[in-house]
Amino acid sequence: MTTLRAHLSSPLQLVTLASAALILLPLGYVTSQALSADPAVWSRLWTTRIPELLTNTIWLSASVACLTLLLGVSTAWLVTRIEFAGRRLWEGALVLPLAMPTYVLAYIYSYLLGFGGPVEHVWQLIAGPQARVFSPQSYVGATLVMTLDTFPFVYLLSRSALLNLNVSFEEVSRASGISRLKTLWLVTLPLMRPSIAAGLALVILYVVSDFGAVSLLRYQTLTYAVFQQMTGRSDNTAASILSLLLVGLALLFLVTERWFRHRSRFYQTTGRYRRPERHRFGWLGTTLVTGYLALVVGASFGLPAYLLVIWSLSPEAQATIDNRFFGFLWNSGFLAACAATGGVLIGLPLAYMANRRPSWLNLGCLQAAYAGYVLPGPVAALAVLVLCLNLTPFLYGSVLVLIVAYVIHFLPAGLQSLEPALQQITPNLEEVARTLGLGVRQTWQRVTLPLMRNGFIVAWVLMFLQTMKELPATLLLRPVGFDTLAIRVWMEASEEYYQLAAPSALLIVLLGLPTLLLLLSKDWRAA
Amino acid sequence: MAYHFQFPRSTQGRLVLLTLFCLIACVAQAATVFAVEKLTVYSGRSERLIKPVLDEFTSKTGIQVDLLSSGTTELVNRLKAEGDRTPADLFLTNDAGSLEQARAAGILRPLNMREVDRAIPPQFRAPDNAWIGLSGRFWIIVYNTALVKPDELKSLLDLADPKWKGKLAIPNAGSEYLQAGVSVIRASYGDARTKEFLVGLKDNAGGQVYQKSSQIVEAVAKGQASLGIVNHYYIYRHLAAQPTAPIAAFMPDQQESGMGAIMNVAGVGIVRSTKHLESAKLLVEFLVAQAGQKLFADLDKEYPLHPEVKADPALVERKNFRAAQVPLTRLAELREPTLTLIEQVGLR
Repeated sequence: MTTLRAHLSSPLQLVTLASAALILLPLGYVTSQALSADPAVWSRLWTTRIPELLTNTIWLSASVACLTLLLGVSTAWLVTRIEFAGRRLWEGALVLPLAMPTYVLAYIYSYLLGFGGPVEHVWQLIAGPQARVFSPQSYVGATLVMTLDTFPFVYLLSRSALLNLNVSFEEVSRASGISRLKTLWLVTLPLMRPSIAAGLALVILYVVSDFGAVSLLRYQTLTYAVFQQMTGRSDNTAASILSLLLVGLALLFLVTERWFRHRSRFYQTTGRYRRPERHRFGWLGTTLVTGYLALVVGASFGLPAYLLVIWSLSPEAQATIDNRFFGFLWNSGFLAACAATGGVLIGLPLAYMANRRPSWLNLGCLQAAYAGYVLPGPVAALAVLVLCLNLTPFLYGSVLVLIVAYVIHFLPAGLQSLEPALQQITPNLEEVARTLGLGVRQTWQRVTLPLMRNGFIVAWVLMFLQTMKELPATLLLRPVGFDTLAIRVWMEASEEYYQLAAPSALLIVLLGLPTLLLLLSKDWRAA
Repeated sequence: MAYHFQFPRSTQGRLVLLTLFCLIACVAQAATVFAVEKLTVYSGRSERLIKPVLDEFTSKTGIQVDLLSSGTTELVNRLKAEGDRTPADLFLTNDAGSLEQARAAGILRPLNMREVDRAIPPQFRAPDNAWIGLSGRFWIIVYNTALVKPDELKSLLDLADPKWKGKLAIPNAGSEYLQAGVSVIRASYGDARTKEFLVGLKDNAGGQVYQKSSQIVEAVAKGQASLGIVNHYYIYRHLAAQPTAPIAAFMPDQQESGMGAIMNVAGVGIVRSTKHLESAKLLVEFLVAQAGQKLFADLDKEYPLHPEVKADPALVERKNFRAAQVPLTRLAELREPTLTLIEQVGLR
């Protein structure tokens, strides 16, 4: 009892609890709204929409998982085990697709593969004038776009697994006369399994929660349906029910990912004795490898980026770059800065308390903050909306509501870099400061905060950039006059005004590039 | 003595500074909203169609207009939730059913304006003028002239015929045009017949379910679909931009005993809690006056509701076809059962 009182007495503790409540309350409201819904609504949804939505969502996730597995592992293996001209360049270039928001890639592919589009023209030259390519607005199209956008997750994890593997295992296998490919199959891949699985779970989580691509490609998934229900119906019950299903599904994949990540520790060998020896390829091999990598990077980043530049330079697009355009840019920057600052301010006490006073209460609060992972944009928006309507209706339609939704949605990304930054500071340093006569506050000011500055900055930048490209929550909650770059891209692209969408899209991509540097250096998980 | 601003050294200091900066930015953002006489318009119409008209109003009167473009139903939900705190002064949208719903929810303000009474015939506005129709649109068939002959077409309901399988493009279930159209069909032919129609429509359209009418017209022009159901003005806007496009409009259900073409209006209402009533009235006056009505006719290719303003000459003349006899105000009450029916059929 005394401990509980001691817990609650500290102001920092109260802040922690309040932050956790801010995140859990919306989720609770949506859950209760869904569970208290009229059974007739449930049964109507079960007989009409849910089977289609569930199968679509699961099929899309499964096929994207298979393809990203192929692309991610093969590219990672090539850049870590083969030596060829330009290897280091490709090593970095393979991350570039992560700077493309899914809705940008989706709209570019709906142009490329669209009816009468460039790909069809080329194909008709080969296969005759009546030949058709598959429609991008389909299962195949959605799979293609999502694969090209998410394979770097698997690539990054496989690459780091390949770099950290103890190469002796492979060498023993080679010394026993087993061919290079067979070694890959029998030794390397099984060792990489945990990392690959973690990467795949991440890909699936991303696919399940994506809104931008599926809405532009009109492929019906749960996330898209939540948005449609929210905008097409006058009550949110059906949206809440679909959200609950979606959260359940996402939770399943999150737990899987955690489990594999936990297991992967068993496979980490402590010391890596030397770099893996890279097999040198002759000119033919180099050409083939380069061709393959160029195809992958070209399709996922090069060609789309080229089109964006060309379109942005067109006179139609140039005409849209006026004061209004800079207003959108300012809105994007302003919202993102607020969300990132809010995220850091809320994340810091959570991470600090969980690390320095790891009571069940504090650890629970920290875990609650990770709930954002299972709240796709439309669901986060719905949750905040329902909460706001019930508790603080006077805030509805204000910037604050939107920022709370962003913070809930992106806090996990921020915590991913705040937490390690805190863990790296040994409490000894703080204790030394105290014994040398500094007060609690001074210790915090002069020791703890300066030491974790980098983690701080990384967390802020990551949340800033993610908010910058956020689409569904912004669409649903933006106040008057708060159109962002992402909104402009979506509005123009959904009416197929490709050129007009290009300048905003290009800017979002360019602003996303710095995140990639952070990713390559350490915090790959946060994108 | 010169004052030197020193950037705080400690991280905490910087954090405080950053927070301060954000607060200041917040206040600055809020301040600009109150600086000049400004109207806030929630618009469920495509920005491309309404912004030029509002820009014209601004250049005439000097009153700035802030526009929030979004889905119609979404905006009605939003207005309901915001209640008296809403920043919106006017609600402008593409569907009489939604306007009537907003009126029933007490969001809109009854108006007593002679300009309105004179300009807009009574069947196109609410009895208390809480909403006022601005322009008429018809839900009609667009077909590719190379793929379909007009004598193959008669009624919208024929589009459920299996012979159009894979050739038909339709709007998605969230589209208020579709909802209003289905409501009118229900009122004219009853639920059983409507359901049959929707099932056929769903089968024939397959994956060709679009978010925007402009996409449907585009798909028909390219031959990706042979025909589609859209609001008439998207066809004429497309033809104005690309006169050689192989598309044409077909006015359905004109046969004897047919229900007539399905009509809807885009309209506007003043939000009850507005603090800028005078400016808001000015905007309404501008929109119903001959000059404003001409903008809808010329820019958007809609049918102006002002009896003395002519529609674009490219359009079928209004007196040459019949409209369905379902009063616009009924669209609101018809809507909920329509949505249930649409969901039962499983339209996307």
